[in-house]
Amino acid sequence: MMPKALMIIRIAWRSIWRSKRRTLISIFSIVIGTGLPTFTVCLGWGFYNGLIDDVARLMAGHVTYEHVEYRNSPSIDLWVDDIQAINSALNNNDEVLSTKQMVLLQGVAHTAKGAVGVSLMGIEPSKEISVSFLPDSIVSGEYLSQGDGRRAIIGNKLAERLNIKVGKKFVFTSNDINGELVEDLFRVKGIFKTGSSAFDSYVVQSDINFAREVVGLNSNATSQLGIIVKNPDNHDKILERWQNELASNDGVFLSWRQIMPDIATYIYMDRGSLVIIMIMLVILVQFTMFSTILMSVLERKREFASLLAIGTKHVELNLQIFFETLIFGLIACPIGSFLGVGALKWVEGYDISKLIEANPEDMSIGGFTMDPIITPFFSAPLILQISIIIFLLVLILGIVPMFLVSRISIVDELRA
Amino acid sequence: MSTVKSNEIVLLQNIKKDYGQGNVVTEALRGVDLKLVKGDFTVMMGPSGSGKSTLLNIIGGLDRATSGKTIINGQDIGILSNKALSLMRLNNIGFVFQNYNLIPVLTAYENAEYVLMLQGINPLQRREKVMSLLQEIGLDGLENRFPRELSGGQQQRVAIARAVASDPQLVLADEITANVDSETAQSLLELMVSLNQNNKTTFLFSTHDPAVIKFAKRVIILKDGNISNEKLSSVEIEESTHK
Ligand SMILES: Nc1ncnc2c1ncn2[C@@H]1O[C@H](COP(=O)(O)OP(=O)(O)OP(=O)(O)O)[C@@H](O)[C@H]1O
Ligand SMILES: [Mg+2]
Repeated sequence: MMPKALMIIRIAWRSIWRSKRRTLISIFSIVIGTGLPTFTVCLGWGFYNGLIDDVARLMAGHVTYEHVEYRNSPSIDLWVDDIQAINSALNNNDEVLSTKQMVLLQGVAHTAKGAVGVSLMGIEPSKEISVSFLPDSIVSGEYLSQGDGRRAIIGNKLAERLNIKVGKKFVFTSNDINGELVEDLFRVKGIFKTGSSAFDSYVVQSDINFAREVVGLNSNATSQLGIIVKNPDNHDKILERWQNELASNDGVFLSWRQIMPDIATYIYMDRGSLVIIMIMLVILVQFTMFSTILMSVLERKREFASLLAIGTKHVELNLQIFFETLIFGLIACPIGSFLGVGALKWVEGYDISKLIEANPEDMSIGGFTMDPIITPFFSAPLILQISIIIFLLVLILGIVPMFLVSRISIVDELRA
Repeated sequence: MSTVKSNEIVLLQNIKKDYGQGNVVTEALRGVDLKLVKGDFTVMMGPSGSGKSTLLNIIGGLDRATSGKTIINGQDIGILSNKALSLMRLNNIGFVFQNYNLIPVLTAYENAEYVLMLQGINPLQRREKVMSLLQEIGLDGLENRFPRELSGGQQQRVAIARAVASDPQLVLADEITANVDSETAQSLLELMVSLNQNNKTTFLFSTHDPAVIKFAKRVIILKDGNISNEKLSSVEIEESTHK
């Protein structure tokens, strides 16, 4: 059996190189068919991951710990109490980069100009400075620091609507944990601009301790504990484990996808359209390869007929054709992946806002702008997956010529 | 099984072959009876279109008769599956074609070795067999050449080597001298005669060329799909062609 297989491989290998031009066309088309999706998908995934990371760091982390019912009715009386144990366990965990405590209050901000519904995020300034990009988005004034009390930062859109500047005051009205109406005076310390108009016109941040005071929460109570993990790709697995090991009865660990479902949906839709475009491109490119393989088989019908005449089995001929496409795939798919990665390395770090004179809104998903600096998502499993899919596609396309060979009439071909 | 019977390599009974259907049927063979025994060296002659190739294809299991019995080596091959037919060809029949049909990507040596590979013969035996065969047919020194680097006559020698390498019961050759000059044709025929004498290989071949007749032990004339005078001896043919 072995020498026979070797001989078939030898015939396949030499047959491939008998027509160099056609072979190069086939290989080239598979290389493109592998390299292009590798490039585009890793590039796209890089942008999405960057965006997800930014938003997760700005909001409630990749994984969020909160009260079980908080999702259904995000009200202030659904806080998670005494999270110190969980917090310190998480901070000792190798997979965790950082955690951030947040108290979220819904309410209304008033000035002489008018009243606007807002969300007050009580945060730990030192944590935010280390994980979030918001401290870098201050356009006037300064970001918060520990013990800032009544000082708050607001978005530029909200500042416009309230007609206030840094140093000016506004009144924040909300309900405390007993449902009583409470009012507090805040002074604007800084104004930020993220680019997301929803965020910039709705969010107010202040020190978490003052936010707790406003609504009467104790100093251990937290609406959400945001967890920034080192590897966001496998946060799903981690949170499952934490749910079993750490969560108290009324606490639940959730993914950023559940915390920000609309952003998740936007990303999936955008990703989906990218994948569809890729699939169409790949089909187009594979068609070139398919037609060259088909041609090469049809051209050799007579040769196959004489092989059959002298006792070659159909399965042996099919094996030969299989080896031919296998060799194409084995040569071309790794080259394609390699070139795709090479191209990604080449564009890595490039600022695409220089390339396209686009308005940042064009680069936004769910209101959040993507980082214009190209940071491809280099994931060996993803790259391998693309390569293997194209490889299998090549092998599947190789079945058609096999089918044609099995229908060859020896006598007709030999007479011709 | 009687000794006579085991000597019978080919036995055809009332073989008919129709091509096409409806009212455009061509009757290529119209009831051929034929018996070939071991060691025969039979030349089949006949005008173009008389059915020579059709008959060879049926005997070799490349095509199936419309009716009649095709018994090769005691086995009715009409009832064999395509797979079994392919195995029958591999183990019992050697083919030589008019236009060589060598595997272009294999060398002369590898072409001759091909069938032995399919049969699973071990490397040592293969080498021994192929080398001595290439020497016998006058191709030593050319074994590493590819078909395109060989003349027509040399290619046909390789094809003959490939056909006889596995010592088949029967070698079928369809107009194998048609594409070479008369001198080369002569040497190819001498080669086959010597293979017939030395190895007792049974040959059946078709030709248009009357010069071939003098090599034949037996001549068959095919005319309009039937054997017109099976009992013609080579002497009689020679006389008739020289008249
Ligand atoms: N596939 C086919 N379809 C229809 N008719 C066919 C087919 N093959 C052969 N024939 C017919 O059968 C008859 C016998 O053909 P065959 O090729 O056996 O003749 P031949 O004796 O080998 O001729 P030549 O000496 O020219 O090679 C011819 O009339 C031919 O036209
Ligand atoms: Mg013919």
